[in-house]
Amino acid sequence: MAAMVNWLVFLFGLVCLSAAVFEDQAGKFDWRQQYVGKVQFAYFDSQTQASKKLLVATEQNVIASLNSRNGDIIWRQVDKTGPEGHIDTFLVHGQDAITVSGNGRLLRSWETTIGGLNWETVLDTGSFQSAGFVGVQDSVKYVAILKKTAISLHYLSNGHQKWVESLLDSETVQYEVVYSGGSGLVSVLGVVPHSHLTITTYNLEDGKIMKQVSVEALWLESLKPGCAVVRDGVLVCADPASRSLYTLKLEEEHEQEMRQVLLQSLDVELSDGFQPHVLATQPSPAQHPNAEFFLQLGPDHHILLQLGDDAIAPLRDFQQALLVSFATTGEKTVAVVMSPKNETAYSINLFSADSGRRLLETTTTFNHDPSGGKPERLCVHAFLKKDDSVGYRVLVQTEDHALIFVQQPGRVLWIREEALAEVVTMEMVDLPLTGTQAELEGEFGKKAAIQDGLLGMVLKRLSSQLIVLQSWMAHLWKMFCDARQPRSLVKNEVTIETLARDEFNLQKMMVMVTASGKLFGIESSFGTILWKHFLQKVQPGSSFKLVVQRTTAHFPHPPQCTLIIKDKDTGLITLHVFNPIFGKRSHITPPSLGRPILQSLLLPLMDQDYAKVLLLIDNEYKVTAFPSTKRVLQQLQEMASSVFFYLVDSDQGKLSGFRLCRDLTTELIWEVVIPTEVQRIVAVKGKRANEHVHSQGRVMGDRSVLYKYLNPNLLAVVTESSDLHPERSFVGMYLIDGVTGRIIHEAVQRKARGPVYFVHSENWVVYQYWNTKSRRNEFSVLELYEGTEQYNSTAFSSLDRPLTPQVLQQSYIFPSTISQLEATITEKGITSRHLLVGLPSGAILSLPKMFLDPRRPEVPSEQSREENLIPYAPEIPIRSEWFINYNQTVSRAKGIYTAPSGLESTCLVVAYGLDIYQTRVYPSKQFDVLNDDYDYMLISSVLFGLVFATMISKRLAQVKLLNRAWR
Amino acid sequence: MLPRSTTSLFCVLFQALSAVSQGLGEFETVSVGAPVNGDRFRIEGRAVVTDIKPHDWVCTARVLVEGEEDHVGFLKTDGSFAVNDVPSGSYVVEIVSPAYKFEPVRVDITSKGKMRARMVNFIKTSEVVRLPYPLQMRSSGPPNYFIKRETWGWTDFLMNPMVMMMVLPLLIIVLLPKVVNTSDPEMRREMEQSMNMLNPNPELPDVSEFMTKLFSTKGSGKSGSSIKAGKSGQLKRR
Repeated sequence: MAAMVNWLVFLFGLVCLSAAVFEDQAGKFDWRQQYVGKVQFAYFDSQTQASKKLLVATEQNVIASLNSRNGDIIWRQVDKTGPEGHIDTFLVHGQDAITVSGNGRLLRSWETTIGGLNWETVLDTGSFQSAGFVGVQDSVKYVAILKKTAISLHYLSNGHQKWVESLLDSETVQYEVVYSGGSGLVSVLGVVPHSHLTITTYNLEDGKIMKQVSVEALWLESLKPGCAVVRDGVLVCADPASRSLYTLKLEEEHEQEMRQVLLQSLDVELSDGFQPHVLATQPSPAQHPNAEFFLQLGPDHHILLQLGDDAIAPLRDFQQALLVSFATTGEKTVAVVMSPKNETAYSINLFSADSGRRLLETTTTFNHDPSGGKPERLCVHAFLKKDDSVGYRVLVQTEDHALIFVQQPGRVLWIREEALAEVVTMEMVDLPLTGTQAELEGEFGKKAAIQDGLLGMVLKRLSSQLIVLQSWMAHLWKMFCDARQPRSLVKNEVTIETLARDEFNLQKMMVMVTASGKLFGIESSFGTILWKHFLQKVQPGSSFKLVVQRTTAHFPHPPQCTLIIKDKDTGLITLHVFNPIFGKRSHITPPSLGRPILQSLLLPLMDQDYAKVLLLIDNEYKVTAFPSTKRVLQQLQEMASSVFFYLVDSDQGKLSGFRLCRDLTTELIWEVVIPTEVQRIVAVKGKRANEHVHSQGRVMGDRSVLYKYLNPNLLAVVTESSDLHPERSFVGMYLIDGVTGRIIHEAVQRKARGPVYFVHSENWVVYQYWNTKSRRNEFSVLELYEGTEQYNSTAFSSLDRPLTPQVLQQSYIFPSTISQLEATITEKGITSRHLLVGLPSGAILSLPKMFLDPRRPEVPSEQSREENLIPYAPEIPIRSEWFINYNQTVSRAKGIYTAPSGLESTCLVVAYGLDIYQTRVYPSKQFDVLNDDYDYMLISSVLFGLVFATMISKRLAQVKLLNRAWR
Repeated sequence: MLPRSTTSLFCVLFQALSAVSQGLGEFETVSVGAPVNGDRFRIEGRAVVTDIKPHDWVCTARVLVEGEEDHVGFLKTDGSFAVNDVPSGSYVVEIVSPAYKFEPVRVDITSKGKMRARMVNFIKTSEVVRLPYPLQMRSSGPPNYFIKRETWGWTDFLMNPMVMMMVLPLLIIVLLPKVVNTSDPEMRREMEQSMNMLNPNPELPDVSEFMTKLFSTKGSGKSGSSIKAGKSGQLKRR
């Protein structure tokens, strides 16, 4: 029974500590934004006139349906990351969407209204080339898949294979195009570069080869993108070398040659950089394609051509056409041309495809910020209006991955910033003070006190108090006005003008860096995008590091962030210095760096403008400082002997420590070699610079103190074995002092494998790995203690630490794989810590660090109970009450960012991946503010009740006294 | 709130401490997963949420297959699923959906493609509790994401032991004189006697009397002063 009571005590403790969400808090201070990624394929659902669906497949391996009225996601299916889930092609027919993914591995059909799977089939191995619908007699029944070595035909209704035929001479011939014109035949076009073209025609019913033709084409290298099939099966190819078009009838019985048509004969001007691109349209897979096609002549130059019976006729020349496309509605096919109007606007026009005549009243002009890059892709939905004229809607994709939906006449209905699906790194910056707050700050500035006398100061004080009073009155008035309006009308609009820090500094600016090179400034309380900036010169695959050089605390100096962009191939970096609140590029010119940079570090040292100094170490171990004013350099010289940094070379398994010299060169002081034959370095992490530890030790059950080993220079190095055999693989954890290079501790987990997720904070390291023997995920925690006495309680020095710390370790089973791991952080470090664990389901688990405590006893004793230690249990529970994002899952969490707020109890959390989710967590509950369920009514009613009771009883007592006096 | 959490945690502990071994059942064939090609297999099953049509929830759900390598499957519009291209090994198959909770199942695939499904037990990994294959995943309802707020109610207040301790004597004080007939002179005398016996020192002033005296003097003092003030005011006016 006693044990039971103790259990209850423990559990009560747990319940108190757990950061759960109340139902009425959902959506109050948290928000989620969902994205799909950079669109690769986009279709309008054109079954009905009033359809408002868009179907997209993206580079992030996502298939989704968007609502075309407001841009919301109707449904979304997220496949595996990487090449295994890569969507090779995406086709839409009626209710069904067909995808081929994983380099032609899986063929899937999706139900487009609800987003469920119709069927899924596994295809034979072989790299995917092309796919297309095949129709017979006006109905589409099959889908043809062309691979490098084989062609197969599948039923659209159930995915079963009708037939498969291997292709002839697939080693030499590149088969690239599959074509069917609704005639019961399927043609496969292949090319032997600079030799000939082969056309193989199969019977639709049984896959028999009907005929095989080979045509000489010495100039032809590839069928894509310079070739297309138009009209009744005529192949049109453009040859840039001879500046001519070639045509070939596919269904001709006898051997033939390609007909050459010189472009000059069509009165076409050609620019030098002619990279031909032929665009044709086939409105229905069961019918022949149209006879009209676009030929791209230059970057902005297109021509609409028509293939007649024996000649090619130009219909219209578009000199300034950025993008062109075809759209079909009913019987009508229109050509859509988008051209730049001026610096900030684009216009879209429709032309009749048959004649090339411009359709009246179809011009759409829309504004687009030129900093977002040029439009890249156009997807048009044309429909017939009541008066039989053609109306249309357009989806435009720009270079910065944004999707813009435009409706006639030039109204931008919605914009989706799909760059945010790939957030790489982020920082949270405090918002600036308001004018009045800044005034108050200025009053107590150092300069002011010297200039003004006593009287001046008093006057200033009075005036500033007046200002405060005034703003308070204004605030009250606003609250009164808001309260009178119905709740739905009160909008919480945040604009860049009204940005101001709130009382508890809970609202911050989230600066997000995306892989596309687009930067966003998102206000954290509602998720409004306040600024965006597209860096156009960023190479794909670059790595980014964002540092906050100056916070908002140094009024009137603006805050300053620096983004370090490192090119993947050359290792050269560029710096982008900007103001994180407004997104504007700073006037400060960053240093020019001619060498690849190995390491960057932010020193706590400040220049006269309160900007922290950023040190960049190049591949010759020379150091560049930014900002590099005279004063900074002087300070650096003084401090040089205490500036240390480390470099990791995972290819050679080398970890080396350097010290800064007075002349801004460096010297090597230590080196740790971890032989790559045995193990390789996977990750190295120090502690967070802004972390505070409140308590220096832990009070034990016997009233002694166990002091924490708080080494700010400690590095946690994770290694994985090179031998991947399940019996011999291991995961290593090294704790190395970054100044001296001393290995403080090493731990090896045998029969374990990565990926290792770990958090290094305070005096502990928590890491997670896969146990290959038991096939489960395990958490392990290392805690370092100095012992019951501190060696030097005033300051920590890595150079003077004779005693090695005591290391405690414990491991636990975790019943799920994880996708991310991070720890909460608070302003002063008083609040207990929680671990935020991203699960593959998209939930984020807030796990109390109490569960990962190596001092958890196997047999609880009186002392351990007094310390509130939970008895050891091998498995860590996952409870859905601990999910901080309840049902707002974050797909593919790539990072969890935590930031302290002005309240000690509150930690701000942003999880990003495909989605972005922002919330607040209270690891020890809200101990410093009243709960939002605080019962004001009860308290005030009790208070009033008591006051009334005293008044009444006083009156009664008086009456009684009077009566007694009369008696 | 409290009892709920205790039970769930107790369950976990029970698993931990008293993992009942069911004997290592030898590997018998249940069904042969269609060998696609090479040694890649297919895991099949069906997910059911009672009383909810699959149409309403399949688009938010996915099938995760976790093991040596991870695989993803999607649910068909009728709630069934098939995860293709899985090599032999041991996997934990889980249906993840923000709206419904499903228990994970461990699926073992031999190199020949024989499949078996069993309960997930991370502590005794070799324990075999067979489950049907093709998998039948039945949802145990929507997950409980929120904790209930502690609401204030009259019953909570009244059931508080402190309040009970206060209320019961009060009732006795009020009800007892009604039960005992006080009009009876004999009874009254008896009671007075007993009261006198209870009060050992009759000289000691009664607390309640003392208090009333204290307050009454204050009150009279106040009223007196106010009269005085009025008088003085009148005087001044004159």
